[in-house]
Amino acid sequence: MGDIEKTVAGEATEGGLSRRQFITGVGGLGVGAVIGGLFVNGFALADDVLAIPASGGYLLIDQKKCAGCQSCMLACSLVHYGRENTALSRIQVTQNPFGKFPDDMVLDQCRQCPYPSCVDACPTGAMHADPETGARMVDEGKCVGCERCVNACPFTPSRVQWNHEDKHAQKCDLCLESPYWSRDGGPDGTRACEAVCPMKAITFTKEIPIQSDAGYEVNLRNSHWGHLGYPTDNAGRVVSTGSTGSAASASH
Amino acid sequence: MRGRATFGVAIALAFSLALAYAVRYAAVEGSELLFDSATWILWLAPFAGMAAAAATKRRDPVVEGDRVLRHDDAAILEHWTHGIGTAVLLVSGIALGVWFVPALVGSGEPVWMWMNVHFVAAALFLFGTFYYCANTVLALKRLREHLPTRDAVDFTKRHYGLLLGFKKFSFPPERKYFESEKVAYLLALSATALIVITGLFKVAAHVFDLPEGLMGAMTLTHDVATVAMLFFLLAHVFFAAVLPASWPMFRSMFTGYVSLDHARHEHAGWLAELGFQETGSHEKSAEK
Repeated sequence: MGDIEKTVAGEATEGGLSRRQFITGVGGLGVGAVIGGLFVNGFALADDVLAIPASGGYLLIDQKKCAGCQSCMLACSLVHYGRENTALSRIQVTQNPFGKFPDDMVLDQCRQCPYPSCVDACPTGAMHADPETGARMVDEGKCVGCERCVNACPFTPSRVQWNHEDKHAQKCDLCLESPYWSRDGGPDGTRACEAVCPMKAITFTKEIPIQSDAGYEVNLRNSHWGHLGYPTDNAGRVVSTGSTGSAASASH
Repeated sequence: MRGRATFGVAIALAFSLALAYAVRYAAVEGSELLFDSATWILWLAPFAGMAAAAATKRRDPVVEGDRVLRHDDAAILEHWTHGIGTAVLLVSGIALGVWFVPALVGSGEPVWMWMNVHFVAAALFLFGTFYYCANTVLALKRLREHLPTRDAVDFTKRHYGLLLGFKKFSFPPERKYFESEKVAYLLALSATALIVITGLFKVAAHVFDLPEGLMGAMTLTHDVATVAMLFFLLAHVFFAAVLPASWPMFRSMFTGYVSLDHARHEHAGWLAELGFQETGSHEKSAEK
């Protein structure tokens, strides 16, 4: 039989453990350990409790002030990926050409939810709250592409997007990880969208705003806005006395 | 033969039912991914493969009248579990996006469905791979007969030169596996090892908090190995199933046997190793 051994497979050892005994032992122990672990995990261990710190801050947007220029989208893409591509932006401007003011423009940002469904849905911990700042963000390398987070977001459109180019989930991290920006981002730094908005329609607060389906309503229209003849209150009136709100007087 | 067919149909049926369940499960409101809810199956599969190998009694190739036993039942089982598992893994993996190729399916349910299909295929693939590995450890000659020899270049040149119509070549006395197959085997072995190791890290990420850098490297390696495996599988299917010259061999992956004439023509070196002589007498190989 040439190179074919004449001995029974796995029994060709000089005393001690044969290869077959070894394989039997490893296979049997492994099967036992997995099934045993299954029972222990199912009956003896308590379910995990999701405890997530609050975000260090929240983006606030005055929808009525947005002009739809998409500067925020381009800046978001630029600081995160080094290229201007609205498809890679984490903040999203949606325009309705048939809508009338103020329903002709919607600017959707991640709300950094106190109970983030996206984090809860992630099976690998890729979607997580940054331990220092609390910002909800994605460890791109840990993302397995199941897109549970995209669908778990309770808002439409989802504030978590699927990055088709690099194949991972992405969402607003308050510019905490913005490798193509010279400034520090995060709750204690600067946010690119906020910095570039020519209408000053985006601002930031460290206080938890009240969640509603309509979003965080905030009035950032000051007297200068009124001087241009634009409405400065939510009822559509022009109030030029400087009594209009700011980020600090945001109404929720 | 009937027992093997029944066993094969039973496994195929079980695999099909598992796939159907995986597809249906993805559509259930609030259901988790199988990678999360049934991770233990992927840990169990390798050990089940090893335990099954330990309980398997192998038969060595032997000349039986006008036919030659080429693959025993265990070889057929490990080939098809590994092969079908690989094929479904490739299809589902490519659908989900591999390396620089974007995902071919939309968000939500289609992704979960293909991930669940990937899960079922991974379980079969792991079982088949570890069944093969354990069987190989039990009889290292099965590894040696797959490894290229110093005849690799000469035999491959003669073999395919003749196939392409160059009359100056004569068919080499190939052993059980063609030398060209043995070279391809190295690619398949490497790709399989990388896919299994990196894949198990990706499964472990569903249970443990693994570092982002490590997971990034694992995903990239998994994807590159997948592309290598895709090239191997396409070449393998062409040379081992599509090419008419390969049909007798393809048939043997179901029946276990090739005709003596076929072996005499294409595997003269193997017949010699089996002790076959043209007078008709031959030594039987050692029974396992």
